[in-house]
Amino acid sequence: MLLNAIIIVLRETLEAGVLISVLLSVARHQQLARGAVVQGLLLGVAGAMIYAVNLQTVSEWFDYAGQEVINAAMQYLIYACLLLVCLSIGRAPLLPGLALQRLLRLVVMLAVIREGAEILLFYSSYWHRSDVLLRVLTSGFMGLMIGFSVGALCYYTLINLPLMWAGRVQRVVLTFMAAGMVAQATQLLLQVDWLPGGAPLWDMSAWLPESSLLGELAYATLGYEAAPTPVEVGLYLGALLLIPVAYTIARKWRTGTLLHD
Amino acid sequence: MAKQVLLVLGVWLAGTAVAQAAPVVELEIRNHLFYPAELVVPANTKVKLLVINHDATPEEFESYELNREKVIMGNSKAVIFIGPLSPGEYPFFGEFNMNTAQGKVIAQ
Repeated sequence: MLLNAIIIVLRETLEAGVLISVLLSVARHQQLARGAVVQGLLLGVAGAMIYAVNLQTVSEWFDYAGQEVINAAMQYLIYACLLLVCLSIGRAPLLPGLALQRLLRLVVMLAVIREGAEILLFYSSYWHRSDVLLRVLTSGFMGLMIGFSVGALCYYTLINLPLMWAGRVQRVVLTFMAAGMVAQATQLLLQVDWLPGGAPLWDMSAWLPESSLLGELAYATLGYEAAPTPVEVGLYLGALLLIPVAYTIARKWRTGTLLHD
Repeated sequence: MAKQVLLVLGVWLAGTAVAQAAPVVELEIRNHLFYPAELVVPANTKVKLLVINHDATPEEFESYELNREKVIMGNSKAVIFIGPLSPGEYPFFGEFNMNTAQGKVIAQ
């Protein structure tokens, strides 16, 4: 049970942790108030509590597809936000600083709501079991700290990059994470039959099992799926390519080269 | 444009109609155990899994092999579509009670 609590909290913290650390490094490089990220975190925790308390009701929406539909909607929204963030890092930023700051707050909040709600629900089973509660809480804290350490490692790696590389690396990392969100959301909609399922295109579980630590990390950062269906692969690739394409168009447009052509 | 919207809606409704035709298989959770622990489902067919949690505590149905993950609140039910699966065994577990809540789907 001890290990169980570590794994659950770690899995949920890993993804949010890496995303938050990248966004923190963006805030730092763009000279934005990093308080916005902290605010997003706090709003996310509050949102997670509200979501966890109401999950029973939410689950019954849309003929028992509510949980997936709401989670998928949040993840598609995170994708849209990260797309805008990517377009705002670089020489011709799309959004001014203040708007970008608000966007970072929103993304962090959304990312924490879903992952946080799951952790809270796990703990709700132990709330009245004083015999094991302390053990489960300390184990969870360990998981949280491991997730936090991975996030910190990402953050310090990113802020120590040469400035000319930082924006590019942040964009690439955020693009993969954003496409990963689309992959996860798509899988949720497959699970409630809102999108057509099908036989997997390939199966890589023998090489990189999703349950391994590396697999979990790949899932959290790239949306790794060992045996994806055609719809997942299609939407993932579309989501992945849209960001660099939009970035190129936006940059041309912002720098006025399109007007001169 | 209106035609296209209608077409998309039509395809979506047709998809939903097919979904309703998917065979339903029931899975129950009691005392952090799955009943039945082995679910036999038809291969190459989409199946609607109806999970009923009789425990007061929430459980998370999770399977790497089936690519599924869903929280099922205490004393409530949930729907999860799986497949179409090629013949074989697909383990699943309750993430909140991994030590006891174990099972597998057998597609044949």
